[in-house]
Amino acid sequence: MSEAADLTETEAFAAEHALGVLSSDERRRAEARMAAEPAFAAQVETWRERLNPMAEAVTPIAPPHALWQRIERSLGANDNTAQARGLRFWRSTSAGSLALAAASIAAAVLLANRPPVVIHPPAGGQLLDASLVSQTGAPVPLFIAAYDPIRKALIVTSLVTPGNDPAHVHELWVIPADGKPRPLGILEPGKTREMPMPDKLLPSLAAGSALAVSVEPPGGSPKVDAPSGPITAVGKLAKI
Amino acid sequence: MASATTPEDLAKLMSRVAAGERAALRQLYDATSAKLFAVCLRILSDREEAEDVLQEVYVTIWRRADRFDGSRASVMTWVSTIARNRSIDRLRARGPMAYADQVEDLEIADGAVSAEALLVTAGEEGRLHRCLSELDARTEKVIRTAFFEGVTYEALARRMDTPLGTVKSWVRRGLAKLKGCLAT
Repeated sequence: MSEAADLTETEAFAAEHALGVLSSDERRRAEARMAAEPAFAAQVETWRERLNPMAEAVTPIAPPHALWQRIERSLGANDNTAQARGLRFWRSTSAGSLALAAASIAAAVLLANRPPVVIHPPAGGQLLDASLVSQTGAPVPLFIAAYDPIRKALIVTSLVTPGNDPAHVHELWVIPADGKPRPLGILEPGKTREMPMPDKLLPSLAAGSALAVSVEPPGGSPKVDAPSGPITAVGKLAKI
Repeated sequence: MASATTPEDLAKLMSRVAAGERAALRQLYDATSAKLFAVCLRILSDREEAEDVLQEVYVTIWRRADRFDGSRASVMTWVSTIARNRSIDRLRARGPMAYADQVEDLEIADGAVSAEALLVTAGEEGRLHRCLSELDARTEKVIRTAFFEGVTYEALARRMDTPLGTVKSWVRRGLAKLKGCLAT
């Protein structure tokens, strides 16, 4: 192939965004730039068009039959007719309040039939759990985690057979919505550990945050804010 | 399958989807979902997550169909981009080093020219594959891996045990060559 001229920095960034190699931060920058600079957006779109034939050449894999029904059910709230688009604001408001009203009636009926119970919400957030599954091979659970808001502690069980890899340790991380990993501590293979959570970490322990375990040299990742070794298991915290 | 639906058919379907016709979305789903599912699965290598993302993808298509501009993008590129972006966002949420190690059990398709693609060598697919194959083997491999698995430069560098700057310059030079080849 003949020698090609280098891409300008801007075009290279556009091409990298279309290719999908950018980190979360860089992706956000690229998206913001697309919104602000039509010329940059056009470059990204041209690159997407150039590269997409790769996606079109993949061997198709049919999704499960039930998926269409799931999709169809979730369209209900997003009706899209031209008329509906004009009415979307009105509809979303009124449908929302109707749903809310229905929910409160249901709750009221339920409450009326039950003896009064005083519920003290725990101070440290909600009860959560997560199953961390392997990232290589078949997805098997390798670690089980539960967050107890009363003890403000994460209870984590390692299902890894002890003694397999004495040269490395498993380090647990929480990755909240901002995408920045925070180290939580080292897990011992085959053991359960109760890890008290400092107050500053409590906001990270929310439903939807990811827990991940990386393979690290003894003592844990030399970097404070990121794993240095491969991620061996990942799971998401969910309300119990 | 998508190959049986021409780009013109898909464009017509999109305008019906934008007008709020559910049956049209179903037809678009039938024509494109197996490709998009393969794309999501390839990036996430987790069936359940890929199904969740695919659901989000079609709801996004439904809600944003009126923003599709046939003069700027083909339907396949538009829908694949939504599928890839959603999957990559999900992958990035796992951390920058997600998939620094190759996923062995999911050799769905390495993106090397499939039999199907060989049949359409005259079209755009054929051109891109020809241009990719004109790159040196290492550059071709790293660009395909980046595209199909949606991994970061950081993860690619670790996987190839090569400094990040080197991987970046391979990719950038490869992309420049691709552009030149596709323009001829």
